[in-house]
Amino acid sequence: MALNTRQARRPPQPGRGMRKSKFQADLAPAEDRMVRGLKQELELNSNTDFLSDALALLHWAVMERRRGNRIFSESGTGERKELVLPRLERVAPELALPHVEIAWSQRELESLAAMISGEPEKPTEALIRAMRS
Amino acid sequence: MAVFIRRLEELDQVELFDCADEPLNNYLRKHAWSNQQKSSIGVSYVATDEASPRTVLGYFTLATASMPRDALPRGFVRGLPPYQVPLILLARLAVDRRFSGKGLGRALLSEASKISLTVADFVGCRGIVADVYRERMEWYFRYGFRAIEKDAAGGPQRMFLDIRTVRMALRS
Repeated sequence: MALNTRQARRPPQPGRGMRKSKFQADLAPAEDRMVRGLKQELELNSNTDFLSDALALLHWAVMERRRGNRIFSESGTGERKELVLPRLERVAPELALPHVEIAWSQRELESLAAMISGEPEKPTEALIRAMRS
Repeated sequence: MAVFIRRLEELDQVELFDCADEPLNNYLRKHAWSNQQKSSIGVSYVATDEASPRTVLGYFTLATASMPRDALPRGFVRGLPPYQVPLILLARLAVDRRFSGKGLGRALLSEASKISLTVADFVGCRGIVADVYRERMEWYFRYGFRAIEKDAAGGPQRMFLDIRTVRMALRS
């Protein structure tokens, strides 16, 4: 299924000059079923409403992690589960890494300086594939 | 197997981790948490399986580092800005041998590269430097790391991956 929001086709409202953008996504069958199931459960009529709610939820999660807050669900018996998504972890302030001193030899410095001041190498196929994963 | 990569946490099970290299095993078992939490020397990220979310299947450790521009002879500083050059140090990367050959190393390197890109966006980073066992260099060459020349043979080899190359890979 292509998740398609069609707000762009609505006539522009007076006084509003902002263009609405169109969003299209190719979903795997399992994701398609998930979207349909969630729309039914949440009584959402359109993909636009679905995307809007999903966006609001993701935005909230990003803002919470950006503030350093962790996100948990808690069961009736008090059992807690933390929401951990690698992409969310990247915006967390703990991402700030400590600084260490490297003991460079003169030859290493020269070799590294030559690499840094030159043009970057083209990425290898393995790196491209890794970055897509 | 659904693998997640996240920061090391205190309750993670690290005792059974075995990548067939004692220094790398020992670091995770004995030092990674305290270095991250108390000493702030390096931050470790672990790969875990959804089915057993506390069992560590692989890890890497990152820190920021820099290259002192002042230490370079004049001929080498041409084209470089007059500051220390910020770098990310990929200090360790290891996969438990029970899970080797399943693409975990690639997933860890991918995550380390993406974190480096984020750091580059926030505070600047010119590239990733890794200390690599000589017998593992071929694996790093595959991902575009280049060997940094050194004075003496033997011991780990320092390698470099330009952040611009990583960015190009992400956009390819």
